[in-house]
Amino acid sequence: MADRQLTFEIFRYNPLKPEVAPYMQTYKLAETTGMTIFVALNMIREEQDPSLMFDFVCRAAICGSCAMVINGRPRLACKTLTNTLPAKIKLFPLPVFKLVGDLSVDTGTWFRYLSEKTESWVHTSKVPDPKIQEERMDNAVANQIYEAERCIECGCCIAGCATANIRDEFLGAAGINRVARFMVDPRDERSFGEYFEIVGSEEGAFGCMGLMACDDNCPMELPLQMQLAYVRRKMAAYGLGYKEKKRIKPA
Amino acid sequence: MLQKVLTKSNKSDLYLDLIELASGLLLVGFLWAHMLFVSTILISQEMFNTLSEFLDTYYLSYVGIPFIIVVALFHFVIAGRRIPTRIQEQRIVWQHAKMLHHFDTWTWVFQTITGMAILMLAAIHVWLVLTGWPINAMNSADRMAAFWWFYLVLLFIGEYHAGFGIYRQFVKWGMFPRKPIGYVAKLITVIIVVLGLAAMVAFVRLGGGA
Ligand code: HEM
Ligand code: SF4
Ligand code: SF4
Ligand code: FES
Repeated sequence: MADRQLTFEIFRYNPLKPEVAPYMQTYKLAETTGMTIFVALNMIREEQDPSLMFDFVCRAAICGSCAMVINGRPRLACKTLTNTLPAKIKLFPLPVFKLVGDLSVDTGTWFRYLSEKTESWVHTSKVPDPKIQEERMDNAVANQIYEAERCIECGCCIAGCATANIRDEFLGAAGINRVARFMVDPRDERSFGEYFEIVGSEEGAFGCMGLMACDDNCPMELPLQMQLAYVRRKMAAYGLGYKEKKRIKPA
Repeated sequence: MLQKVLTKSNKSDLYLDLIELASGLLLVGFLWAHMLFVSTILISQEMFNTLSEFLDTYYLSYVGIPFIIVVALFHFVIAGRRIPTRIQEQRIVWQHAKMLHHFDTWTWVFQTITGMAILMLAAIHVWLVLTGWPINAMNSADRMAAFWWFYLVLLFIGEYHAGFGIYRQFVKWGMFPRKPIGYVAKLITVIIVVLGLAAMVAFVRLGGGA
């Protein structure tokens, strides 16, 4: 595997220099063992082209900032080993998000909107008392919440979704998953009517066409198919007048 | 924005999605039942004729056919609302599908294309059948012998649209993982297509031989 010569074709465009039309630039690089796209991009920037723009922070699939389109698929640069790819590698920035330049996009503004729109915090009327023990949570529920919480806001599910590519207001799998997370959380006191306000429309659950590009491209392998269908069913049940107690709260 | 505030209806997107679900299920149920009925020709001509006479004398055909046409029209408008109408959106979806190399995205693109094709082909099919009323083995055999290529295309396009359509409905609404849903949908589709092909051969023989 080693000794491969990799050819990178990288999308170049700087919105601050609109007079230069977008173009593809080719770089050559000798593959090293354990090389990821993240490592390769840093080598290119250090050794060949300091003007190349791309994002990373944690280089360990935690921060979600290095997502880009690698040979057609939205993936994390830091989690993608070059030896899983052919010698020719094409890199594009994620679609949907605002282009900062070259491979760098602004996912932050988008996800901030998502958090505000879905009101991503526990809505509770209880005032926490630091002197008493925290309420216990059922282990199964805690796991369910954790599954959804593993989202690192990388944006791969949004970029891969054809619906999100053409419908600006669509919250996508990350947004619907976020609401699912609060739906199962016994501490969140919102009613299903309030959730319906957020995702009971084509901006949310009913906008999804079931293309499953989100499910197939989430680098954290969240169970997005199940989450989307779960929210869809719950919202339909609420909309049809089925009254549901949120759940039994222990103690 | 004034226009959005004044037209906001809480439930309309839900109702549309439910009609999409119901119309899709009804149409797939109809299509598969229809193909099973057609395949009775494989058992015998008498069987086929008895069934079609039964549907005729009890007015099931006269209720069923208009009903299915209405459901199909609803489906066409409501499932069709997902088809991007602006040319730029269509180019985005096309470019996106090509970039992604992603199976379920491509099958959706073809879902919309086969849907539009069915709109035309099924209209022709219904018109042919209604103007050649009643349905019996010899009538059908004559049609099939003359237009077998047309029916061949309709069979594949229709079954594609129904098979992947019902798969997607279960994916969007159901509690099962995608893989087993896909296997079952493909299995049923293959069975129906084989039955359909066999029935076609039987009809063409009947029509050509007579
Ligand atoms: C009148 C011509 C037709 C047109 C224009 C049409 C169009 C469409 C479109 C655009 C979709 C995609 C909707 C989406 O992804 O949300 C779709 C889905 C579907 N179609 Fe059709 N279709 C037609 C006829 C039929 C027929 C005859 C059947 C029955 C076999 C059928 C069964 C389905 C099913 C089950 C779905 C999935 C619906 C869903 O995902 O909710 N369609 N159709
Ligand atoms: S299932 Fe498809 S349409 Fe729905 S959010 Fe995922 S990629 Fe988008
Ligand atoms: S759901 Fe998955 S693909 Fe989407 S933003 Fe979260 S981690 Fe990324
Ligand atoms: S650099 Fe943080 S996820 Fe890749």
